[in-house]
Amino acid sequence: MIPSSIEDLATRLDEQSYLAADDLTVAIHLALQLGRPLFLEGEAGVGKTEVAKVLARMTGRELIRLQCYEGLDVGQALYEWDYARQMMEIRLLEARGEGHDATARDIMSREFLIARPLLQAIEATADGGRPVLLIDELDRADEEFEAFLLELLSDFQVSIPEIGTLKADVPPVVVLTSNRTREIHDALKRRCIYHWIDYPSPDLEASIVLKKVPGIEADLAKSLAEAMQRLRAMDLFKPPGVAETLDWAESLKLLQEGDLTPQIIDRTLGVVLKYKDDIDSVREAGLEALVV
Amino acid sequence: MTASPIRDLASFADALRGRGLTVTPDQVSEMALSFLYIDPAERNHVYAALRALSITDPGHRRIYDEEFRRFFEGFHRPGSTAEQHSRLASATEHKPIIETIPEEAVDETVSQAGASAVENVAARDFASLDDNDLGEARRMVSAMSWQPSDFRTRRWASDKRGRRPDLRRTLHGAVGPEGDLMAIRMKDRRIRQRPLIVLADISGSMERYAEMFLVFAHAAQHKIEHVEVFTFSTHLTRISPELKKRDPKVALSRVSSTVTDWSGGTKIGEALADWNKNWSRRLARGRPIVLILSDGWDCGDPRLLGDEMARLARSVHKVIWLNPLAARAEYQPATRGMKAVLPHIDHLLPAASVRDLSGVVRLLESIARER
Repeated sequence: MIPSSIEDLATRLDEQSYLAADDLTVAIHLALQLGRPLFLEGEAGVGKTEVAKVLARMTGRELIRLQCYEGLDVGQALYEWDYARQMMEIRLLEARGEGHDATARDIMSREFLIARPLLQAIEATADGGRPVLLIDELDRADEEFEAFLLELLSDFQVSIPEIGTLKADVPPVVVLTSNRTREIHDALKRRCIYHWIDYPSPDLEASIVLKKVPGIEADLAKSLAEAMQRLRAMDLFKPPGVAETLDWAESLKLLQEGDLTPQIIDRTLGVVLKYKDDIDSVREAGLEALVV
Repeated sequence: MTASPIRDLASFADALRGRGLTVTPDQVSEMALSFLYIDPAERNHVYAALRALSITDPGHRRIYDEEFRRFFEGFHRPGSTAEQHSRLASATEHKPIIETIPEEAVDETVSQAGASAVENVAARDFASLDDNDLGEARRMVSAMSWQPSDFRTRRWASDKRGRRPDLRRTLHGAVGPEGDLMAIRMKDRRIRQRPLIVLADISGSMERYAEMFLVFAHAAQHKIEHVEVFTFSTHLTRISPELKKRDPKVALSRVSSTVTDWSGGTKIGEALADWNKNWSRRLARGRPIVLILSDGWDCGDPRLLGDEMARLARSVHKVIWLNPLAARAEYQPATRGMKAVLPHIDHLLPAASVRDLSGVVRLLESIARER
């Protein structure tokens, strides 16, 4: 079930413990209503991938995930023949003395095909439902794959020479994410609803912490969110994302610390910052500055 | 917000185009369609919806914000969100590393040039050479040997001597009356030449080096595939077509009549912005290596330069910055321009002598062999 209004969507996301900023909610709403892919860019750890997971939970549909990497090809993304089974089939036909009459049809049918995520998504629409297809970290794939994807996203159909054309009955809910390590081609982005996810405001981030880390004090959530805000303003090599905030909150809860003091920060800084240079420069600037 | 926002959309799109953004007619109709799903009276929803359907780059959000306010709210307050976006492109302080080229790497090139006395010419700064020696240096640069920068892509293609069985083709060959399961077809990773993009600073401060560098670029264009060459001082000029002429003298004289901003001031940021906006998508396919020749004396906005360098670096494989001044022992990349670009470059090399330039060729080859 896809929510019919923005307010409805916001409530449903909230029920799934996903607190989205207003503009992101609008972008998701449009993607669902217009049946277009949602293209999410943003720094690491701001919850891009989470959007797809939440949409799958929210609509009660399957989440089909394609993790991108350089050299990703049709065999990994769309389909591959099951060579081992095909060979066995040929051996069986030979053993039965039918080897000479075997044709491409015998070993090139759907049952010898392994569906990879994109084909899975197309086939999962057969019952009229819309599965959630997550194409994660598209910037890691290469341009050949982008070109291929552009074609697929425009009509959700694939042609397999030996079998024919397979087409999605309804467009799947598609979420593409990119960390922007390189520019994705504009043509692909224009085919999508584009949204850049910012770091959340301190208020929103504190609410996210309260939602995701049950039992944490509201004051602590607030000071965590503010400390994060200051860290992100510090021009670090790798500014911490919301994922780090949640890790931090979990850690403090585990350590049963109720206040964010410079001493506590000193002991737990590794949860938030993952580069030695960053840790050094934050220590140098003074940990007191984070908890003013 | 006017009473009929939909009617305004086309003009709004025009306003965005006027600011240099691309908005396709398809996007405009999607924008109109979106009003069926949102409440046009909700300012924030309209704002977010039109943004998601028009811009495809976070860097364009400031322009969008300004136009949106101007268009739907009737007032103009530029730059208020610039602060918050600029951080996206900022980077940590980089330690300047000037690479030196091992002596043996260049001997081969030098000996190819023939004479024994050339050793002297090869090692000296172009600025210190007389006309006679300059001619010699030009010949040496033209005659440098270039290995094509092959690299193995991560894609596979059918190849008789390949390293892995191509099961798909093997199985296809195994069916039918002539079928034979024993004929294993092989495949291997595809080989492709990596493109090279050359951007040469021809402003006043670079005068003594730019000409020699264009000889270098000319040689590159004739010895490897996929080379594109641009010059810049106050604006960017594409000179690859002119350099197609085989004779370097003819090619360079054509270049000098095409290029109109010889020895002008330097606006590196603007030139890179032009490259990113108008050329990058067309020419930066296949993850090229970019060579930039400049001393980093920039009279434009260093923040723009930093932002545009970051964008350039994201769209290519490697950025190599050649700075003639880097040949000097006391050199520190201290100009504002060099400081702005340092975080975004992979290699900083000197480029003041024949020896330096042949070091650049060796570096390009080593990059090509990386995988």
